[in-house]
Amino acid sequence: MPTLLEVQRAMCTSIVEHDPATIVDDLADGIGPDRLDIYRNTIFFGLTRALRLAFPAVERLVGAEFFEGAADIFIREHLPRAAYLDQYGGEFPEFLRRFPPAAGVPYLGDVAELEWAVNRALHAPDVKPLELKELAEVGPDNQGDVGFQPHPSVSLIRTEHLADDIWRAVLAGDDQALAAVDLGAGPVFLLVERAKGDVEVSRMQGTEWRFLNALCRGDSMLSAMDSAHGLDAASLLAQHLSANRFVGFRRQDGERGLSISEFKQ
Amino acid sequence: MSPAIGSCATPIPAKAGIGLRFPHHQAVLDMRPDVAWMEVHTENYMGGGTALRYLDAIRRDVPISLHGVGLSLGSAEGLDPAHLQRIKAVAERIEPGLMSEHIAWSVIDRNYLADLLPLPMTEEALDVVCRHVDQMQSFLNRRILVENPSTYITFRHSTIPEWEFMAAVAARTGCGILCDVNNIYVSSQNHGWDASTYLASLPPAAIGEMHLAGHAVRQLADGRTLRIDDHGSSVIPEVWALYQEALARFGPVPTLIEWDNNIPPLETLLGEARRAASFIAVAEHEAEHADAA
Repeated sequence: MPTLLEVQRAMCTSIVEHDPATIVDDLADGIGPDRLDIYRNTIFFGLTRALRLAFPAVERLVGAEFFEGAADIFIREHLPRAAYLDQYGGEFPEFLRRFPPAAGVPYLGDVAELEWAVNRALHAPDVKPLELKELAEVGPDNQGDVGFQPHPSVSLIRTEHLADDIWRAVLAGDDQALAAVDLGAGPVFLLVERAKGDVEVSRMQGTEWRFLNALCRGDSMLSAMDSAHGLDAASLLAQHLSANRFVGFRRQDGERGLSISEFKQ
Repeated sequence: MSPAIGSCATPIPAKAGIGLRFPHHQAVLDMRPDVAWMEVHTENYMGGGTALRYLDAIRRDVPISLHGVGLSLGSAEGLDPAHLQRIKAVAERIEPGLMSEHIAWSVIDRNYLADLLPLPMTEEALDVVCRHVDQMQSFLNRRILVENPSTYITFRHSTIPEWEFMAAVAARTGCGILCDVNNIYVSSQNHGWDASTYLASLPPAAIGEMHLAGHAVRQLADGRTLRIDDHGSSVIPEVWALYQEALARFGPVPTLIEWDNNIPPLETLLGEARRAASFIAVAEHEAEHADAA
């Protein structure tokens, strides 16, 4: 008699590989293996729907049939690692970039990367933002050692093509705007975040993007300022704080580079 | 000991409720429909943003039940602690009147197969499920309900009838049973069981909730008919009849109308709930008569 683990492994293989061979001996008499197709259809339909919800512009760019075909292959290679499908599909942009049939749409991976950031922003948990006055407890001499924790809705992405223009034109169904996008222009530096309930995608100047990217990575103020040549770092930081882009901070011992307190939230 | 999750929640009344789905969020807020309670899928509210904002607003007026679809109580490899933690976080935020999960599995080798897959009905599977129900109840510090599945296959080595399996889980763990009447009908038709025997084998005291939904009928290559639990249409007359039989046996119980595919206008759902409510009223009347006699 097979163990439960063996049955579950066999069923998984038969469903994912679409081949009943591994499970057929465990089925009761009179149970045709085609009944497993019902489970396969439900799983693949549900996961494809999750991808479709996260990547609507990608689907419009390639068409429903192509999207479903790509999703079917992607799902087999990347089953969800958690029963939390709002987080499913993070590898899809990279998959599309390497997916030979999609090579004719060179900006597809860029649009997918933007859509994944938008999806993350949509579903990110609600976290209380860091307030300026909480930073006040850090003395002026130590402010350079502060490293920040970004709001979970914030993503900073850099795409080779004008992913934001393409994405907006596709979702608006504006063929003229799409045709007007200069495919030779780029790269663009984008900030994606959920502000006051709505997801916003904004284009940034490269140096400012690098500064914010360093801060969101947790670099100390001092080290982030290294990437901010010619910028008014203090006023930029104030803008990011007032836009609720950080939720916590950490003071670091500048000399030893060690964390002396956990992220404060 | 920490307080039980949902201990200050509004309890779910023994009346008819509806499954709340995203397309109806705005309509529910606008219409404030007269419905006794609502149920949501726990996994749809694990993030923040818009979905949670709607649920926060709706739950001010309506008691909410949290119905999980992803914990995989039947997984041989054990429960995912991160998922259990996510469930707890949603419960702390939503303060549900009831919490439930399924007698099924969906996780193997940490991969999530997004469906409620059938378990072989064996002593080993019973042990695994009971261990996980215990774990879930003690982690959440509250009683949960477990729902009977709808299934399309059965296993050669199953030794326990499904209704005995359900009763045993409730007896061993102290959990309640979410009796899905449509699932009993679907599985009984698919496997040649007697639905009345199934109902009669469930312990009435353990029944904490019932589900009603529509299902599809498909012809298989071998000529046999298979009923598929797709929650995509209205409840059929045979399931309403079985529901009345269940009410007569279990008494008035919170009853939910589920509709997940081809989601109709909110009014259609409310109409189905009114129909369930009329049957519950009959059961209340009969219960009063029985008390008086």
